[in-house]
Amino acid sequence: MLISLNWMRDFVDLPEAIDVHALAEKFTCTTAEVETVEHLKVDARGLIAARVVSVADVPNAPHMRLAELEVGAGATVQTVTVAPVLPVGLSVVYAPPGASVAALSKIGTTEVAGQQSCGMILPGDAIGVPMAIKEAIFLAPDVTPGQSLPPEWFDDWLIEVDNKSITHRPDLWGHYGIAREIAAITKLPLRPYPVAPLDELQAGSGREFKIEITDPEACRRYSGIVVTGVPTQPAPLWMQLRLGHVGMRPISGLVDLTNYIMADLGQPMHAFDADRVDCIEVGCAKRGAKFKTLDGFERALTDETLMIQCRGVDVAIAGVMGGLDAEVARDTTSLLLESANFEPSIVRRTATRLGLRTDASARFEKSLDPKNTVLAIQRFVELAKPMYPNLKLTSPLADCYPAPLPKVTVSVKAKHVSRAIGREVTADEAGALLAPLGFTLNDSGDVWTFDVPSYRATNDVSIEADMIEEIARCIGYDTIEPTMPQVSLRRVAPHRLHDLENAALRHWSNGPGFREIQAYLWYNSEWIVQLGYDPGACLELRNPAADGLHRLRHTLMPGLLGAVRKNRFHFPAFSIMEVGTVFDPASKDDVSRRHLGLVMARRGKKSEDALFTELKGYIEAWSWQAFARPAGFSTVEACAGRAWEHAHQTVAIRVGDVEVGRASVVDLSLRQAMDEHLGAWGIAWAEMRLDVLADLDPVIEPLGRIPGHPRVELDYSLLVDSQVRFAEVVSQLDRFKNDLLKQIRFVGSYEGKSVGAGKRSLTFKTVIGCEDRTLVDDDTTEFCTAFEKHLAGCGFDVRR
Amino acid sequence: MDLETLNQQIAEIEADVAKKVGDMQAVDALRSLDTSILGKKGTLGSLIGGIKDYPPAQKGQVGQTINAAKKRVKAIIDARHAALKQAAVSADSAGAMAHDPTLPGDRPTMGSVHPVTAVQWEVERIFERLGFTVEAGPEMESEYHNFEALNIPASHPARDMQDTFWLTNGSVLRTHTSPVQHRSMKKFGAPLRVIAPGRCFRYETIDASHENTFHQVEGLLIDKDISIANLIAMAKTLLNEVMNREVKVRVRPGFFPFVEPGIELDMNCEICDGAGCATCKRSGWIEVLPAGMVHPKVLEAGGIDTEVYTGFAFGLGLTRLAMMKYGIRDIRVLNSGDLRPIVGRERQGGAVIVSREP
Ligand SMILES: [Zn+2]
Repeated sequence: MLISLNWMRDFVDLPEAIDVHALAEKFTCTTAEVETVEHLKVDARGLIAARVVSVADVPNAPHMRLAELEVGAGATVQTVTVAPVLPVGLSVVYAPPGASVAALSKIGTTEVAGQQSCGMILPGDAIGVPMAIKEAIFLAPDVTPGQSLPPEWFDDWLIEVDNKSITHRPDLWGHYGIAREIAAITKLPLRPYPVAPLDELQAGSGREFKIEITDPEACRRYSGIVVTGVPTQPAPLWMQLRLGHVGMRPISGLVDLTNYIMADLGQPMHAFDADRVDCIEVGCAKRGAKFKTLDGFERALTDETLMIQCRGVDVAIAGVMGGLDAEVARDTTSLLLESANFEPSIVRRTATRLGLRTDASARFEKSLDPKNTVLAIQRFVELAKPMYPNLKLTSPLADCYPAPLPKVTVSVKAKHVSRAIGREVTADEAGALLAPLGFTLNDSGDVWTFDVPSYRATNDVSIEADMIEEIARCIGYDTIEPTMPQVSLRRVAPHRLHDLENAALRHWSNGPGFREIQAYLWYNSEWIVQLGYDPGACLELRNPAADGLHRLRHTLMPGLLGAVRKNRFHFPAFSIMEVGTVFDPASKDDVSRRHLGLVMARRGKKSEDALFTELKGYIEAWSWQAFARPAGFSTVEACAGRAWEHAHQTVAIRVGDVEVGRASVVDLSLRQAMDEHLGAWGIAWAEMRLDVLADLDPVIEPLGRIPGHPRVELDYSLLVDSQVRFAEVVSQLDRFKNDLLKQIRFVGSYEGKSVGAGKRSLTFKTVIGCEDRTLVDDDTTEFCTAFEKHLAGCGFDVRR
Repeated sequence: MDLETLNQQIAEIEADVAKKVGDMQAVDALRSLDTSILGKKGTLGSLIGGIKDYPPAQKGQVGQTINAAKKRVKAIIDARHAALKQAAVSADSAGAMAHDPTLPGDRPTMGSVHPVTAVQWEVERIFERLGFTVEAGPEMESEYHNFEALNIPASHPARDMQDTFWLTNGSVLRTHTSPVQHRSMKKFGAPLRVIAPGRCFRYETIDASHENTFHQVEGLLIDKDISIANLIAMAKTLLNEVMNREVKVRVRPGFFPFVEPGIELDMNCEICDGAGCATCKRSGWIEVLPAGMVHPKVLEAGGIDTEVYTGFAFGLGLTRLAMMKYGIRDIRVLNSGDLRPIVGRERQGGAVIVSREP
């Protein structure tokens, strides 16, 4: 929101040479964030009013017109202008030769499009009304041609306050509220708000019109008055300039005046044609009703839309926008002027549903002070009187306020204030700080009670903490001495899952050389179709970021495979990982899971087996390092639909005896589907549940022992059919029981000519020993006999 | 054997040794020569056994003669041994000349964590040193945890400000890490010191500086007599540590429904040093830390006795911190899966020998 310093000076006597940047910085640190400070320097010299006498076309220059202007004392000049609208009889802002403004080059008498042009009709955007591009600024009828225009009206300082930083402060949506803060900051007095006395309004002639509010919670207050003598004419120049400075476009006297009050007090107002609207009902629209708003669009209403109606006919959408039919027109003689107060959430819902955020709705959403409805009308009358000499109040003030908001008083424990601010604060200090903001300190013992002014009482200040904030910000956060807290020591259990995630990322990035990526929480439909993956039931987003991004992932693999495709252009080999959330919608309890996904990719036709072996080795090493347990792999059937699970190569991963995930290689058809170049790559992957791993009981592997008696190692090679899985061989070996056997280790697997086709040789090392004596030859012989007998019994061809 | 013959024999042996040793190139051969001459059964060594055959008057002299000879032979062999060792060292050294010691090393494959993870760890370490515990919360949250428990009722305008991803099951993707405040209060009670890093989601259009998926870290401290002065001190400590310098900060009021009073902590802009530039939107300040004293309603919802305890909370944008720290200009590279922008150049492929890049 833009704040004009000229405007501010109406309410606070700021020094002429004030440092505006310093003031803005102080405002930022005390009240709300200032985004920009701009010095508007129109630098107007010698501007005068000039009345349009006649307008003629300029030959061969369709965008230009030749205007004859009366410039005072009966003198006229002719000037060429591009102003699109130029009604005869109205006065405009005119720069005679010799006058100047900063935005334009020297003004004199020149020839334009073959016509002599004397001086210039100034467009709004050259004199501080940026919304009026090329358009002339018209002057009120009381201005006489030739009258000079005060240069000080044109120059201004503009302070832009961040709207987001005042959403909780309804009082700051007008200049008077900002002025109150500025007065408190600068310790200058705030002038009373200049309004017509209430009894003047109550003494209006004629009959009071009827206001009926169906739901007092939806419409808290509705006030209005009927006036005549408000002809269509331009607003005073100073008013138009101020509106222009704060980003509004001058339109007509009446509209400018209501806009001015909105920017002044923060209270939106609306005027109906009193011949068409002579009483007010506030109630809900009929379901399915249509309504044409001021902007000419037809809006569909629901039975929740709060409407202003007159004798059952909709005339405005409450708090949002008036209707086209009851709009004030040129022939309107009598106005019904209203200002109201609505429940913020109703206005917000309606504005959101209609996609119609107006300056008015934005303010109503903030929960305005109900007192402002009457204050705005008083202000209107005050400002209108000098503008409209024939102004008459033709009704007394009508005011319907069925359930007045209670006066808010907040109690504050003195010790809580000192505790929160970190230093002693006395009642006198707090009372003095808050008085300029309108708070009254009533009780100053151990518990202070503050009366909250009505403009802060609608949703902003209601509890002790709110008062502490007021005191703290007025003291100034920059004056509070930072001190480290005094805390109580306390033991809390570690978050094992989080710790494991960090440890896993550290492990896999350090040793095995994986690189962490982070992918989105949702599948990309296009990509999973390309992968041939049908995810089945998913958690879904109601409002996805884009079409096809609505399904939340159950697995990290599509994201990782997407990264493989992306990186294959740039790296001949790479290993990537992700630690992330996935969802299992079928789960009964908690559907969130944390997974570790690992993918190794390498260019080279024969790289697949080597990669898979390498990956499994890394998993085994991690399993020992992180969990002090062996990892195991057992063949499982590939999961239908998960194309990255190879039909014959997919294994379940066990850590200890708990199944924690799966691993496999990506087959040729999927690699080709991902990207034709990936046909010549090998891709191995594993995906594991970190949440399950984090639940494993910690195991500590005993260390520090040196075998007291030497051990003997004996190597065996078993010749087995290539079809026989390693896991089967291991389970056979595991059945062998012998007191001397300490370990069997895997040495290697060999396939080749020397072992014959369809066979492979698996080599193991058996380690035998005894805790209390050294083995003798007989022991070894006895063991070998028993072991070889077991192997033969299993059907293995043994070669020692 | 008379003495003369003995002397002659010894002389022959010595001459033989001198000759053989001169030809020897290997230490092993030298060792066996040593054994064959000086060993008990060696040509010289075995002469000791014959001493007993000499008359007692000669025994002493014979012994001396043989031992002196043994010493001489030993000296010849040792000298040759030393010469051979020296030759081997010289040869090895000469061989080493062939290797170029200025070649780069063979480096193992290096992995890396995501830049956001790296910054997250840094923040975790800072707080762990201050005795904070690290918590995590779910990325899919109930409306209650994401909003209500944080004093954001259904009608609150903040529900608009928080552009939310909604699930068809009525849950939301958490819009901030603040729900962990409530979860931690429920889990641990007071007093409490906790941070919660994690991923958050906002329904917004992605461009170079906006992402719908990003990381934050939440901080919460609840204890007796906690003040705004403590909050400011803690926030300054955090920023000083993260930025590795003494940062200048500005504290101003800020509005967040779950804190009261609420503050915004700004850090002076590193790029322009406060003069105003595009990065800081000409203000000289960069917004880094929304914070405040925990709202009594939030404490109450978390089951904390507000008469005894107060606390402060803050949120820090980890993604933005990572961008600031590593100079990442475009936020979109972080979730793209493309390794090039998130892996340092030194980690990509072979050693960088010449670099003309900034
Ligand atoms: Zn800057």
